[in-house]
Amino acid sequence: MNAQRLLTSAGTTAAACLLAASPVLASGEGASETTLFTGDLGNIIWTLATFIVVLVLLGKFAWGPILGALQKREDFIRDSLNQAKTDRQAAEATLKKYSDKLHAAREEASAIVDEGRRDAVVVKQKIEADAKAQAEALVERAKREIGIATDTAVKELYGLSAKIATDAASRIIRKELSPSDHERLVAESIAELGGIGGNGRSEN
Amino acid sequence: MLELNQTLLAAASPLDHVYQWVYQRVDIGVGDSVFTPGGQITLFSNHVIMQIIAVLFLVLLIPRFARIRQSGDDVRDLTPRGFGNFIESICAYFRDTVARPVLGEHTDRFIPYIWTAFFYILFINLLGLLPLEPLTRGLVRGIFPGAHHGIGGSATGNIWVTGSLATCTLFMVVINGLRLGGMHYIAHFCPGPLWLAPLLVPVEIIGLIAKIFALTVRLFANMVAGHVLLAVLLSFIGLSYTAMGAGPATGIGIVVVLVSVAFNFLEIFVAFLQAFIFAFLTCLFIAQAVVIHHEHGDEHEEHASETAQA
Repeated sequence: MNAQRLLTSAGTTAAACLLAASPVLASGEGASETTLFTGDLGNIIWTLATFIVVLVLLGKFAWGPILGALQKREDFIRDSLNQAKTDRQAAEATLKKYSDKLHAAREEASAIVDEGRRDAVVVKQKIEADAKAQAEALVERAKREIGIATDTAVKELYGLSAKIATDAASRIIRKELSPSDHERLVAESIAELGGIGGNGRSEN
Repeated sequence: MLELNQTLLAAASPLDHVYQWVYQRVDIGVGDSVFTPGGQITLFSNHVIMQIIAVLFLVLLIPRFARIRQSGDDVRDLTPRGFGNFIESICAYFRDTVARPVLGEHTDRFIPYIWTAFFYILFINLLGLLPLEPLTRGLVRGIFPGAHHGIGGSATGNIWVTGSLATCTLFMVVINGLRLGGMHYIAHFCPGPLWLAPLLVPVEIIGLIAKIFALTVRLFANMVAGHVLLAVLLSFIGLSYTAMGAGPATGIGIVVVLVSVAFNFLEIFVAFLQAFIFAFLTCLFIAQAVVIHHEHGDEHEEHASETAQA
């Protein structure tokens, strides 16, 4: 570095001069008139030297760590954002998966309920139809049984009536009637009863 | 009364506060020139000592606050606190907002130079605002017999200092332009057809020098102007005393002091602003040299925006 060499030479010269109190040292303000533009190579050397010292020292002890921290923070933020993005995407995927599952489950449940309801209606109708059919069958059977019972009763009544009538008639007229009369009377009675029985049955 | 008159005479020129007062010169055995008036160069002056003080502050303070935070906790380590936060937020602002849009991939290569330029100028500007001169006059006279002024003033109010800093930027621009831009950087000196080169190359070179000269003068003039303004304002107190007596001078004094306080705040702002402008333009000039444009349209646009900002 040219500036540094100059500085070094100036520095050594200055030190030597100060120690020896050499006459080359001129007193400051008397040497020339001071103006706004007062200055010389000395200022250039001092400025470059101080600036380079700051550049080197701060570069080593300040800017390095700061730049490192800034880069580290930048990376950290970028990584965090990327991580957050990935996490969010994963979370969204999971959410979608579960929401789909939930949706499917809900549909399934509602399908089950619907099916149950439909089955219930069918069962209800079947039960009703069965009950109706059974009731009708019962009524039919009852009617039939009533009919049979009526016929039986009528037949029994015929028999019984004929027997009673025969007994009574025979008890009353046994002595008075000849066997021929008797037979005629019996025949007439049966005929009569037959007429009644026929009437009785038709009334039912 | 006599003492007061002497004080008034001593502060006769408001420029006294911005001059460089040389304490000691050294003969380096070369002839008389602009750089070496009377064959001598400055060894110590108020500005040189202010520069040294600024360097001490910079080197002692900034690394203290920039120290890597090591608590083991990731998030805690990445969060600056206290004064380190101030330093780091400025650094981060320069890196992300100023440098990255123009320097792109070269940002981290040049950002230490830009940070150094900013803080070096800022510290010198701010130290220049301290009224050290009357306090240090005795001390300086003890060390350098014959010195009339104490330490004080802005070294950035010295055109030799600002010129040297701007020259550093010039070297950064040219060297890195050649190193990173290569032939593209050389070709940039002749943006038109080749037969126009005799006209365009000198114009481009003058343009480059003008940028550096503007950088020099902008910082110098801004720093001088603020100090001169404050000195002129305060000189009204003395002038009104001699012209009108103690009564009116007290009234004027109160107003002048209040206005000076306001201007001092403005000067603090200007100290930051000019340091920022210097660093910002340095960044822009380096970017123009190292970031290769394939379309010339872009370049002209940037030239235009830069002129507007200047």
